[in-house]
Amino acid sequence: MTDQIAIRAEGLTKHYGEVEALVDLDLDVRRGEIFGFLGPNGAGKTTMIRTILDEIRPTAGKASILGMDSHQQSVEIRRHIGYVPGDLAMYPNLTGRDTLTYFANLRGGVDWSYIDQLAGRLDADLSKKVGDLSSGNRQKVGLIQAFMNRPDVLIMDEPSSGLDPLVQREFQKMLREVAAEGRAVFLSSHTLSEVQRVADRVGIIRHGRLIAVEAVADLRSKAIRKISVYFDAPVDGAVLEGLPGVRAVTTENDHVTLSFDGQMETLLKVVTQQFHVMDITTQEADLEEIFLTYYRDEEVNV
Amino acid sequence: MLANVATKNVLDRWKGILIGAGSIGLLLLMGMSVYRNVDLGLYTSMPAAMRSLVGIAEDTDVGGLAYGAIYASYGALTLAALSLSMGSASIAGEERNGTLGLLLGNPKSRTSILVSKATSMVGLTAVGTLVLLAFGLLSPALLNVELGDMHITALAFHMFVISIFHGFLAMAIGAWTGKNGLASGVTAGIMTISFIGVGLFPLIDALKEWARIFPWYYYSNSEPALNGVDWGGIAVLIAAMVVLAVAAVVGVNRRDLRGQTTGVSLIDRLRTHPITKKVADRLAGSARVSHIWIKTLTEHQGLIIVVAYIEFFIMGILIGPTYTFIDEFLLDFADALPEAMLALFGGGDLSTAEGFYQVETFGMMAPIAVMVVTIAIGARALAGEEANRTMGILLANPIKRSKIVYEKTVSMIVGGVIIGFATFAGVALGSVIGGLGMDMGNIAATCLLLTLLGLVFGSFALALSAATGKPRLSIFGSIGIAIVLFVINAFLPFSDSLAGLAKATPFYYYLTGDPLINGMQWGHGAILTGIFVGLIALSVVLFQRRDLRQTG
Repeated sequence: MTDQIAIRAEGLTKHYGEVEALVDLDLDVRRGEIFGFLGPNGAGKTTMIRTILDEIRPTAGKASILGMDSHQQSVEIRRHIGYVPGDLAMYPNLTGRDTLTYFANLRGGVDWSYIDQLAGRLDADLSKKVGDLSSGNRQKVGLIQAFMNRPDVLIMDEPSSGLDPLVQREFQKMLREVAAEGRAVFLSSHTLSEVQRVADRVGIIRHGRLIAVEAVADLRSKAIRKISVYFDAPVDGAVLEGLPGVRAVTTENDHVTLSFDGQMETLLKVVTQQFHVMDITTQEADLEEIFLTYYRDEEVNV
Repeated sequence: MLANVATKNVLDRWKGILIGAGSIGLLLLMGMSVYRNVDLGLYTSMPAAMRSLVGIAEDTDVGGLAYGAIYASYGALTLAALSLSMGSASIAGEERNGTLGLLLGNPKSRTSILVSKATSMVGLTAVGTLVLLAFGLLSPALLNVELGDMHITALAFHMFVISIFHGFLAMAIGAWTGKNGLASGVTAGIMTISFIGVGLFPLIDALKEWARIFPWYYYSNSEPALNGVDWGGIAVLIAAMVVLAVAAVVGVNRRDLRGQTTGVSLIDRLRTHPITKKVADRLAGSARVSHIWIKTLTEHQGLIIVVAYIEFFIMGILIGPTYTFIDEFLLDFADALPEAMLALFGGGDLSTAEGFYQVETFGMMAPIAVMVVTIAIGARALAGEEANRTMGILLANPIKRSKIVYEKTVSMIVGGVIIGFATFAGVALGSVIGGLGMDMGNIAATCLLLTLLGLVFGSFALALSAATGKPRLSIFGSIGIAIVLFVINAFLPFSDSLAGLAKATPFYYYLTGDPLINGMQWGHGAILTGIFVGLIALSVVLFQRRDLRQTG
């Protein structure tokens, strides 16, 4: 199975003096998947990425990429990866094309027709100086830089910042293609909606600790839905309060709203057996909200 | 302390001021303790013009020598350099960092920000002056040196005024252009030329009066340490500052703020023109980014070109013919000067062309020139990429950290060689034009040693850069060490018991063997090369061991 692992962290720990930036982090990212790495600002996402890229060295534990030790074999690893740093900065006086030429020279064996193709898909202008580009357009150059060598593992720290929705969609499509080819994507983000759209699994990090790794589908099933039920006559919502997964019930004449994260079937059975339902609306799962709720719960447990 | 723009600026800068002024103060203490043991009989009979060349006042005693040699020149230059770096950064620095927009998002006018910055620049320079003054008053007391009728406070006041003058000059240029590098570069250039001019012009009858065109003239000509404050000179400088301050206010209010740091260079224009596009693209594009070292070199091209030009044209070609105009009397007199005295200014014997070049070009200016380039490249080599947050993406490529150190070293070597060669070409041409008949091989040998000296300090900056990832620390640390070592090398020969210690400084291996007269000093060259190689090896080890910094 090891050859199916793209990134592995074992007990990865990084301290800055008293500050624990990463604590005993274990994680596997598989080939062929898009792994979303979620956490609020300052949770340790960037520290994790910088550690596995050998930019900084772990206080304890180790990491490997494609089975190679992140420190001992870092140069070899970097032949096989593409990387977009968070808060991307490049050389302001070089044009996009110069920048890509520079990195292509350092890397060797880059196919320019593929770069042009990527630039076309992302609608990137490579003739302007990087310093004269808006942050979104600069980000495109950074993305092309990461994709251009068809890496086995793509590591991206908040990659879609500044991109407009159309380009974001194209970018997500490109990520899915990478995964479909059996390559791996490690995508750090603080926006769930983005991860939700592309990722197969997510890891949630907080205060340097990985508190959960879940398939996106499972996370979605944890979803809290806002449900409004309209009846043909005024009802007493209290009867719903004891049901598993039901919270925050409010009743207004013939209209009951509640938050729900249980089995929909159970709820429907109870409701339809006792009352005459006129209409039900359920708001699409707001992962953002679930995520925050979920987090708060976890925080209590940690 | 973050209460307003002025205090925040003070917070950002106070360390540099204290360290700069403090180290000059320590140098004074050291210099004075060395001078104490010297027989000064000869100085009192020096002609005025000669004294102005070396910065020593008439009727002086031990105290005057130390003040003249250390405070009046190094002290004032250092304090003025600190002021000008604050002045140039005041508006242009915030623009470069992209923080000016943020600052102006607050209900503050551009003028009020400029005024705050000017206030902190003047205030911090005043603090630096007070530190220098404190050392100036304490040193003689500590060492039991009799000062006679010296006006230390007047000298300090003059230093303060000339320093903030350069601060305002840099501020005005920065306010008009928004270019921090341009503002500090042009101001430093004006300061340097003015410093040299005030020393050189009085030596030549036809140019004597022209010395007045230099700002430095109004600082030093009246010899404030001996004669007290020269209110006439001060008034000229203050009037100039008022003009510059007004110009800065007008400048910053009339133009568009710069969003980014890019400008349109000549090569950019050539790249867009259909006829020149192909060639220009090769030069500015594919060639520039073909290797890390070439790209690094092009980032410093402006600095290298300017410094090479100064070395070639001013310090090289112009000095030769100038020598032929110098007063015969001075030359005769110079024969009688003890070597120890001239050692302070590069050990040149003014009665020969070689000696004159040694005092004027190789003694101080050429080392400064080559070190400006090598230290700039070395200090920014690693720390610069880290401060600009580009190191992460650079190291995402399959290259070793050691390769980056080596490539940056190559660009430093090329930069140093360019300055060395420009100096050689300038001095050689100057010698031919002036009919001085200097030995070409010896000039080349001196320039080779000069380049090696520059590389030693450049590699020291690189090692600091590799160890810390902090560009400012690397730059100022290297400059500080260079000044201290330079002065140690210059002063210690005065004292019999300490003379041997000069061998511990790289400067000893540069000019002590008189390469302009005796040709290449292979042993000295080997020692400099050894230190350079050792520091590069150390840089590799230091850089491989540590965590990369995410920000500057």
